Amino acid sequence: MSELIQIGAARPKAPQPQDLTLRWSERAVEELEALKGHYPDLKSLILPALWISQREYGGHLPPEGIAEVAARLQRTYAEIEGVATFYSMYNTAHAPGRHMIEVCTCLSCHMCGAYRLADILEEKLGVKMGETTEDGVFTLHEVECLDACDRAPVIQVGPDYLDPQATLQDEGGEAKMRAWVDRLIDDLRSRPEPSSVRLADTVVQVHVRATER
Amino acid sequence: MAAVANVPLVKVSINDVEIEVPKGELIVESVKRLGLEIPIFCYHPRMKPVGMCRMCLVEVGFKQQDGSVRKMPKPQAGCTLPASEGMVVYTDTEPIHADRRGVLEFLLINHPLDCPICDRGGECPLQNNTMAYGPSTSRFIELKRHLPKAFPLSTYVTLDLERCIQCGRCVRFTEEISGDHDLAFRFRGADMQPSTFQLTDFESKFSGNVIEICPVGALTSAKYRFRARPWDLETTPSVCTVCSNGCNVWFDHRAGKFVRINGRANEAVNEEWTCDKGKFGHEHYNAADRPTQPLVRQGDGFAPTSWSGAYDPVLAAFAEGGDRVAALVGPRVSNEALFLLRRLFERAFKSARVSSNWRRTPGSGSVQGTIADVESGGPVLVFGTSLADDLPIVHLRLRKGATNAGARVVNAFSRPTEVDRFAAVSLHYRPGSELALARGLHGLLAGTGATAEAVEAETGVPADRLREAVEVLKEGGTALSSQGLYDLSDGPQIVEALAGIARATGGRSECWATGANEQGAIELGLAGEGATATLQACAEGRVKALWLVAADPFALHPDRALVERALETVEFLVVQSPVGSEALAYASVVLPTALPAEQDGTYTNCERRVQRVQPAVPPPGDGKPDWRVFSECLLRALPETPLFNPREVMEAIAAEVPAFAGCRYEALGPEGTVLGGNLLDTPDEPAMVGGQA
Amino acid sequence: MSFEVFRDVAQPIIAGFGITARRLAEQKVTVQYPDDRREQFPRTRWRHVLTRYDSGLERCIGCSLCAGACPARCIYVEASENTDQERYSPGERYAKRYEINMLRCIFCGYCQEACPTGAIVLRKDFELANYEREDFVYTKEMLLEPIRG
Repeated sequence: MSELIQIGAARPKAPQPQDLTLRWSERAVEELEALKGHYPDLKSLILPALWISQREYGGHLPPEGIAEVAARLQRTYAEIEGVATFYSMYNTAHAPGRHMIEVCTCLSCHMCGAYRLADILEEKLGVKMGETTEDGVFTLHEVECLDACDRAPVIQVGPDYLDPQATLQDEGGEAKMRAWVDRLIDDLRSRPEPSSVRLADTVVQVHVRATER
Repeated sequence: MAAVANVPLVKVSINDVEIEVPKGELIVESVKRLGLEIPIFCYHPRMKPVGMCRMCLVEVGFKQQDGSVRKMPKPQAGCTLPASEGMVVYTDTEPIHADRRGVLEFLLINHPLDCPICDRGGECPLQNNTMAYGPSTSRFIELKRHLPKAFPLSTYVTLDLERCIQCGRCVRFTEEISGDHDLAFRFRGADMQPSTFQLTDFESKFSGNVIEICPVGALTSAKYRFRARPWDLETTPSVCTVCSNGCNVWFDHRAGKFVRINGRANEAVNEEWTCDKGKFGHEHYNAADRPTQPLVRQGDGFAPTSWSGAYDPVLAAFAEGGDRVAALVGPRVSNEALFLLRRLFERAFKSARVSSNWRRTPGSGSVQGTIADVESGGPVLVFGTSLADDLPIVHLRLRKGATNAGARVVNAFSRPTEVDRFAAVSLHYRPGSELALARGLHGLLAGTGATAEAVEAETGVPADRLREAVEVLKEGGTALSSQGLYDLSDGPQIVEALAGIARATGGRSECWATGANEQGAIELGLAGEGATATLQACAEGRVKALWLVAADPFALHPDRALVERALETVEFLVVQSPVGSEALAYASVVLPTALPAEQDGTYTNCERRVQRVQPAVPPPGDGKPDWRVFSECLLRALPETPLFNPREVMEAIAAEVPAFAGCRYEALGPEGTVLGGNLLDTPDEPAMVGGQA
Repeated sequence: MSFEVFRDVAQPIIAGFGITARRLAEQKVTVQYPDDRREQFPRTRWRHVLTRYDSGLERCIGCSLCAGACPARCIYVEASENTDQERYSPGERYAKRYEINMLRCIFCGYCQEACPTGAIVLRKDFELANYEREDFVYTKEMLLEPIRG
C-alpha cells in the first residue's frame, strides 16, 4: 500500500562516505597505515587518527575532519564524534587561534600565582578565558594539571611548556611575570606556524615512533 | 536470561531466601526468579549491562566459614554483578533505600519535571521508580540545565535533551542491536547528550525502538506526539502486517481510533523489536479517504447502497463464471478470507482464476527453517536482497547471530546494504549478474572447474572476495533470499543455483516471502496464474469481471500501462478495499472492508508461522471483514450452510488444506505455530461452534 | 361550640397562624429565583471553567490528568502542539478539544485537584439544565472563560 513509508524528509542528512572530500595529505595516510599494525582493530585507532586529522585540518577538528576519520576507519560518524567531543584536547567546538595558550590552574600553579598570570594574560590580550583574540592569533584556555609542578606557574603553547620562572611570592614576581608575558606574546606573534598543529604533529610522531619500537 | 544448558548452578541467597541460579547470571535477573524487582534504568535484558545509572544497587556479601555473612563495604550494581557460589544479596535494606533515594535525587536534579506535557508521562520508568523509591521532595533549588526541547532527530523520533538521564540505552541499541551506530554520546559530564552526527537525520531503519526503550521522555515518537496519554489508551495484542515477518505488536487505540504500535515480546519472531516500517506504517488506519459504505457505479459517479444492494450486481456479474471471471488478492488478506475467496470462486463461480502472486513465487517448499534459526551461528549467504528493507526482523536476528554466536555472513547484493556492516564478506555484483554469481559460487563450492577469475569477469566481484566467500560457505549453512529475487527474469534459475549451493555445502536454501500473508496464500494454493496473466486477460477482454481484494494494482504491479488498460477494458470491476486507492476510480462496485487489526483472523508469516490477529478497533462505517463478505456471497450464491466465523473457517482450512492440518485456533500458542511443526500432536478438542471469536 | 372544641381545634389553628404572623415580620430565607439569586457558599463546586493567565493565554496544557483522575470518566481531552503562529498556551502543548459530559459529572472536584496548572476550576454556576442530551457535552469554547479586557 503506497501510503505507507516515506522514510526521511526535510532533515539534513549526514554525507555518504563516497561523497566526502578527503583532505588528508599523503604523509598522513602513510602514518595511519603505519599505526594500523600497532592496534588490534580499527576501533582502537580512533584517538591517534583524530590527532592526525586535527593536524591535517589546521589544529581544529571540524565535522568534516571527524567524518574523514570515520570514513578512513570504517566506523560511523556518530561514534567518532562521540569520542572526539569527549576529550577536551580535540578542538571540536570552534577553531582556535594560531597560538593556543593554556594556563594551568591546578593546585601547585594556583599557589604560585597562576590566576594572577591568567589575569595578566587576559589583560594583555584583551580576551577572557576560552576566547580568541579578534585578529585570530591567540586563544586563551584554562586547563587542569599539566604535570609540570616544578615549573609552576606553567603554561602550554602547542607542545611547549613555558613558565615565567617567577612565582607571585617572589620579590617583584608580578613584575617579572608581566615582563615575561610581554616578551612571550611578541615572540609568539612573530611565529607564523600554528602551535596547535605543532602539538598535534608531536602527538602523532610519538604514536608513530611507538610503532617503530 | 533463560538458563542455558551446561551452565553449572550456584546457590545464592537473596533477601535470606536460598535459590539456585545458573552461574554468571546477573543478579538483576536472579531476583526476578523470586518475584522481586530491582529498579533499573540503563539495564536492558537484551543488551550488555553497563552499570551507568546506579539505580540497581544492592548489598552483597559472602558466607564465611563460620556461617556469618561478610558484606562488601559498598553497595554493588546488580546489573553488572554475576551470580557466584555463596553470594548473599540484599535488595531491600535501609542503606539500599537511602542509596536509591540518593540516585533518584541526583537524576532529578536536571530532569525538567514537565511530566504533564511529556508523552512518556504515565508509563515512565523514571516516574514509577521515583514514586516507589524516590525522595518525596527535592532539595535542589538552583536553576536546572536548559537545552533544546522537541528537537526533530528524524521524521519519527523527537529528541528532548532536557529530559535525558544519560542511561545510554538508545546509544547501546544502535550499537548492539540494530548495528548502525547512528547514535552516540556527544560531549561529557552534565553536557553529555545522545545524538546523531552533527544532529543530522537519524536514518536507522529501527529507530522506533529507541522510543520504547528510553526510560524517560527524551526520545519520543513524532507520530504519537501529544496524541494521547497512556491512561486514555486501550491496547490489543496484534500482529504487524506491513511485511512478512509477522512481528508481534501492541495495537494501541483510543475511542476506536488507532494511535500507535509498540513491540510485543515473541521470542520466536521479533523478540521485542519492531522496524520503522511496522511501527510507523499503520497511519492508514486513520486515513480520511477510507471507503465507509458500499458504492455502485452510477454514470460518472457512485451511489451509496446497502450491502445487499451491492451483492446483487456483483453476484449477477460473476454468475457467468468459468474463465471469464477472475480475482486478484493483495498481500495483506487473512488466511480465512483467502480460503473463502477460493471456495467462492471454485464452488459458486466455477473459476480457478484467483491469484495472489503479484510476481512470480516459488512453491511452498521454499521455506524450511525459521527466523530464529538464522541466529544459530552457522554461516549464512544473504543473496540478492536488502535484508533490512525486505525482512527487517530477520536482519536483526542475523546480526545477533553474527555478533553473539559468531555466524559468518556472506552478503551478495548489487549495492551496499546494512548487512555489510557485520558481514564477513561482501560481494557487490553488477546489477543483472545475479545468476552468474550464484552459478559461479555454486561451481566454486562444488569444485566443477569454475575459476574465481571467470566469475569476476562476469559479475565484477573481485576474485579474492569470491575465494573468501567460498571459504566461509564451505562449512555449510543457509542461503537466504527473498521472493523479490525470484521475480527477476532469471529468478527461478538463481534460486535453483542457490539450492545447489545449499546442497553442495550441506545447508538449507530459503526464499522467503515479503508480503504479510504472501506465504499463506501460497500454502492455501492461491498462487494461481499470476497477476500479470490475469491483467493481460482483462486487457484483451478475455475476462469479463474482475474482483480486486485489498489490492491496489497500481501500487503492486510494475507495469502501469497494463494495469490501466486492464481496468479500463474489464466490463465489471469489484474493488473490495479497506483503504482508498487509485483503482477505485475504475470500479463498478466498491466494497468497504476492514484492515487486519479490525477483524479476526490469522496470518502466515515468512517462516510459515500462523499467528492470530484480533479485532482491536471497528472498521469505519459499514466496513466488513473480507472473510465475512465472501461468506455472505457464498450464502447468497449456494444452497449450503456457509461458515459463520473465522474459527469455523480455520477448522475447514485444517480439514481441507494438507499444509494446515491440525491448525485450529486452540492449537495456536501465544507465539503462534509453525505449519507442519507439532500441530498434529495437540489433543483433538471438540470444535467450538459459535465460540468466542 | 364547647370548650373542648375550641381547645382542640380552634386554638391550635390560631396559635399556628400566630407563628406565621410573627415570622412575617422576620427576614425571609427563600428568594424569588430566578429574579433574585442567593449568594453561593464560598467553596461551592458547580460548573467547570477553564481559566486563563492574565496574558490571555489558556492555562490548560492538555495533559489529560483531569481525565485520568475523573471517577466518572466524563472528560475527554485531545492535545496538540502550539506553534509560534498559533499559540494557545505558554508551553509546547495545548488542548485542542476539551469536553466534559455534564450528565456524567458528579462534581467531585478531582479534576481541579489533579490539574497541574490550575486551569480547570469548579465555579458557582449551577444552571445546567437543557433540553437535549447532546447539549450537556460542554466543549472547550463553552468552558473557557472570556479574555478579560
